[in-house]
Amino acid sequence: MTWTAMNWTLAVPELVLACCGMGILVFGVLSKRETFQLCSMLTIGAFLLTGVLVLPGAYGVGYSGLFTSDAFSAFVKLLVLVAAALCVVVSLDYNEHVNLRRFEFPVLMLFCTVGMMLMASASNLMTMYVGTELMSLAIYVLAAFARDELRSAEAGLKYFVLGALASGLMLYGISLVYGFSGSMAFDKLAEALADPASASPGLVVGIVFIVAGLAFKVSAVPFHMWTPDVYEGAPTSITAFLGTAPKVAPMALLVRAMATPFGQLLVQWQQLIVLVSIASMLLGSLAAIGQRNIKRLMAYSSIGHMGYVLIGLAAGSVDGIRGVLIYLVTYVFMNVGTFACILAMRRRGKMLEGISDLAGLGRTDPAMALAFAVFMFGMAGIPPLSGFWGKYFIFSAAVQQGMWTLAVIGVLTSVVGAYYYINIVKVMYFDAPEEAFDPRPASLSFVAAVGGLFTTFFFVFPAPVVAAAEAAAKVLFR
Amino acid sequence: MLAVGLGHYLTVAALLLVLGIFGIFLNRKNVIVILMSIELILLAVNINLVAFSAVHGDLAGQVLAMFVLTVAAAEAAIGLAIVVIYFRNRGSIQVEDVNLMKG
Amino acid sequence: MLFAVAVFAPLLGSIVAGLFGKAIGDRAAQAVTILCMILASICGVSAFVSLVYGGAPAGTVSLGTWLDAGTFHASWALRYDALSAVMVAMVTCVATLIHIYSVGYMSHDSTVWRFFSYLSLFSFAMLMLVTADNLLQLFFGWEGVGLASYLLIGYWYDRPSACAAAIKAFVVNRIGDLGFAVGIALVFVTFGSIDFSTIFAAVGQHQSDTYSVFGTWRAYEVIGILLFIGAMGKSAQLGLHVWLPDAMEGPTPVSALIHAATMVTAGVFLMARFSPVLDYAPGALAFVTFIGGSTALFAATVGCVQNDIKRVIAYSTCSQLGYMFVAAGVGAYQASIFHLLTHAFFKALLFLGAGSVIHAMSDEQDMRKMGGIWKKIPLTYAVMWIGSLALGGVFPFAGYYSKDAILEAAWASETAIGQYGFWCGLLAAGLTAFYSWRLLILTFHGKPRADHHTMEHVHESPAVMTVPLLLLAAGAVVTGFVFHEQLLGEHWQAFWGNSIQIAPTNHVLHAMEEVPGWVALSPSVIGLFGIAVAYLLYMAMPQVPAQLAATFGGVYRFLLNKWYFDELYDAVIVRPYFALSRALWQVGDATIIDGIPNGLATLTTDSTAQVVKIQNGSIAVYAFSMLIGLVFLVSIFLLFR
Repeated sequence: MTWTAMNWTLAVPELVLACCGMGILVFGVLSKRETFQLCSMLTIGAFLLTGVLVLPGAYGVGYSGLFTSDAFSAFVKLLVLVAAALCVVVSLDYNEHVNLRRFEFPVLMLFCTVGMMLMASASNLMTMYVGTELMSLAIYVLAAFARDELRSAEAGLKYFVLGALASGLMLYGISLVYGFSGSMAFDKLAEALADPASASPGLVVGIVFIVAGLAFKVSAVPFHMWTPDVYEGAPTSITAFLGTAPKVAPMALLVRAMATPFGQLLVQWQQLIVLVSIASMLLGSLAAIGQRNIKRLMAYSSIGHMGYVLIGLAAGSVDGIRGVLIYLVTYVFMNVGTFACILAMRRRGKMLEGISDLAGLGRTDPAMALAFAVFMFGMAGIPPLSGFWGKYFIFSAAVQQGMWTLAVIGVLTSVVGAYYYINIVKVMYFDAPEEAFDPRPASLSFVAAVGGLFTTFFFVFPAPVVAAAEAAAKVLFR
Repeated sequence: MLAVGLGHYLTVAALLLVLGIFGIFLNRKNVIVILMSIELILLAVNINLVAFSAVHGDLAGQVLAMFVLTVAAAEAAIGLAIVVIYFRNRGSIQVEDVNLMKG
Repeated sequence: MLFAVAVFAPLLGSIVAGLFGKAIGDRAAQAVTILCMILASICGVSAFVSLVYGGAPAGTVSLGTWLDAGTFHASWALRYDALSAVMVAMVTCVATLIHIYSVGYMSHDSTVWRFFSYLSLFSFAMLMLVTADNLLQLFFGWEGVGLASYLLIGYWYDRPSACAAAIKAFVVNRIGDLGFAVGIALVFVTFGSIDFSTIFAAVGQHQSDTYSVFGTWRAYEVIGILLFIGAMGKSAQLGLHVWLPDAMEGPTPVSALIHAATMVTAGVFLMARFSPVLDYAPGALAFVTFIGGSTALFAATVGCVQNDIKRVIAYSTCSQLGYMFVAAGVGAYQASIFHLLTHAFFKALLFLGAGSVIHAMSDEQDMRKMGGIWKKIPLTYAVMWIGSLALGGVFPFAGYYSKDAILEAAWASETAIGQYGFWCGLLAAGLTAFYSWRLLILTFHGKPRADHHTMEHVHESPAVMTVPLLLLAAGAVVTGFVFHEQLLGEHWQAFWGNSIQIAPTNHVLHAMEEVPGWVALSPSVIGLFGIAVAYLLYMAMPQVPAQLAATFGGVYRFLLNKWYFDELYDAVIVRPYFALSRALWQVGDATIIDGIPNGLATLTTDSTAQVVKIQNGSIAVYAFSMLIGLVFLVSIFLLFR
């Protein structure tokens, strides 16, 4: 193998980002003063730089098949970078406020992002494992980042134990797939599985284990149990992060793994994804209704959203994958915006998490209430907000594949889901006002405005996103 | 003389895996035991990988085993650190105490 | 480029005023919106001039792809042809004048920035509608107009009547929009596209297409009728007209905007835009003529007995729109747009003049409490005369040319339905003249009927209100004279280009040159007769109208109550609907429907409790559930392999 065959230039964005991360880490360690704000800014800068490097779209296969750069990976990477950057912005003020101003915070998010980018480009079970672990290890630490707070420590512990179990299961699955097919490379696997009838039981078990490991990361039922507790316990800025990029990358990896190496087994794994999707949608919409803590509610809401996304995967067509990507884009912006609003829920210096604390926000802070309402309506899928289009593309793909049951269940659960989203709007506009929140910091207003504008005006120009998603989806079905 | 074949390795690995998984949720005592169970799972995987690698005559499995060892070390470090934080806040690492958040 | 600026400048103004209006203050919000509107009107007029006289090529201004899903393509693009350009020029000019006028009229309001933001939004939506390059974009503008009208009619949202009127306008328009939406869907089914250029290019190929729903129908007829139902809602044609008079609840400049430049003209525009298709749908056209003629006559009769000055003008709009549809129905689309154009000027003039009167009379709108004020507000009096002369169709004012053209076209069409349109229009012309002069005389002449206090305060409006009036008056005088030959003459194609395409069998424009002399003369004669009657009844013998009303009490009340349309709808639709709703609520809802959601809700909360019960915080349980899930999935996979 020659040096040029490595094609390492394809991984320049990841390499640059990792180097930036190490540089920022060294700078933070050596610096005498507290450098949280500065390191955060540097991290955002590194994200932007990496984004610029991803944009030109140098496509190909590198590292002798371990690493693939294509339209799909570029799409996912850009989304992950945008989400991560917005989450760093969101954490700026919050971390200052709750005494978490330590430079390791943005650096960990940065390394987590490197892992996610690696996942987006993984075309080998080995890269898949390493990328997933790089992401997860960073998140374990971040979840327990508020080290003087019991809830945060418990969140970290739970996420760690269950996450390690999930990784172990996925790894076991990888070993089985490797053993029964003789390769870890996605293209070789696809060749080996060209005849679905020849798939041995060991291989099948391996695939299910891999699906389980990834389903844990995207918090799909029945591997979702960590989600509410970790969402509630982790520092809110991390919860915001958890709900966005670390959902996108594993979902993308799941999509690629199902579509490329195991694409021939579509009819078989479709059943699994359908079951997981239905269970997620049901649980996401039902369990959220009784919640009083808004972070917990968002946890159940994200479970539900992942259920909808999985419909697109279950459709197993270009349209379905396109729907998945569009849905993820709209979801990321709505989610990050919602959390920007949640982070602004602060009264006399105290952070609030109760839904009832939002009472009367429509009168005390109309702008924030409007943004919040836009996100809630968007998540409920009310046209013409972006959330509606995400659902529209997903459901229409499912219908095209004749999966009426799935689409109908999706529509029904989104009706149930709309109940608790709109309940929040009701609390904001119709309940007796409480005392006003503390003034919003500019960073949160910025992120809420970005998310709100995107959600509201997505319908005006959906074409670029739709076209990019279509191009990305087509790559997987060549 | 009984020849040790692939099947034996896989059986051992499967047993270790089951032991590890059961260790996580049957254990009511100590979080440290959970960490050990996780190590068991990863070891089971390593046995699998190396055995398959030998059978296929393909190095990839062994390379991944190396990665797994490295990651396992990092994971153990992080896990212990989190347990330490937890203990400082709670004063206990009993598994049944870890249920502050629910619902 | 100019064209795009003309369309988007009002949007910019609206956004700035709407988002930052509170922060930058009323003055700045007014300045921004008006500057944007002036910019838009300059660009709009120059785009019109360079297209029609400068020889600039017609085409589309592409703004980007909107949606591209499967076989369905839609893009954001502005269609730049004579029809769009003339509409843009008219809308921007009239809307600009109304904006300026509003500065004076709304000076005592508390949320002026909100008003201006809505006004600009309204103008933008209308511009979007007339420049649309495909049906979806047109629908976007269509709904935008509906939204803005709702906001403006209900602008004084603390008045229950304003809210009711806004809701009425919205609901009635929804009925029309349903037809329109279905029409768009059928167009897509028939032509496989919603792009105007594609549709019009393919008109020849689909002539014999049919739909089979409740019998077999020609596709073009169905499309034409559905689109016309949409137009009926927006343009307040008989049956769906009930919202228009109530829309008076908005501030007067809003009425002017709705009645003159935006909203109600949308339906007429739609007919002209779809002329290539409609010309092959004689059945639909006959229906259009029938409704148009009936509306013209109906609204004119009602206008004769109304006492609210704005309502009289509102019914006159209704009636004039009827004329436009008659013209469209007999195939003289050019004449309908011509009348739309002249009407925009004199109707805006009449409304703003009425606003000026109301302003002078301390917000009194009832004509029975006016009178004898013409010396105190001479300027307003003069422009109201000009507006009435134009509306009444007196030579050489604008209305004379356009109304005559329509009646001649109706006669020249030589069909029974065309004759119906002609006679309705002729009668309505007499009534129009009658109620116009009734309005003038009641408002300005005779003895003052207002109380002393009000009369003392009667004053001419400030310059910011009178200057727009004068400009509009100029428009009402010259537009007919200037554009008559270009729009309708022998060389109409030089003006319209491809924007209006007619079937080879359509010779109305040619035939209307050769109608008998009495047809050309009769509108003027009957108009003068109407004026004479009004003079006799209200000036010379002011006691007669009351006697007449008493003698023909039934007829009078019938007209005063607008042919009992509201009552009819109330009895036929609203009441039974409420009764049905109540029955459903009490019987179905309380027991069955409530039972189901309540049951479902209980089920949901119960299952919520169940679902959450597993979530007991224990790591062991979480891990166990993962394992169960895994085992379950493996077994499923192995079983169904």
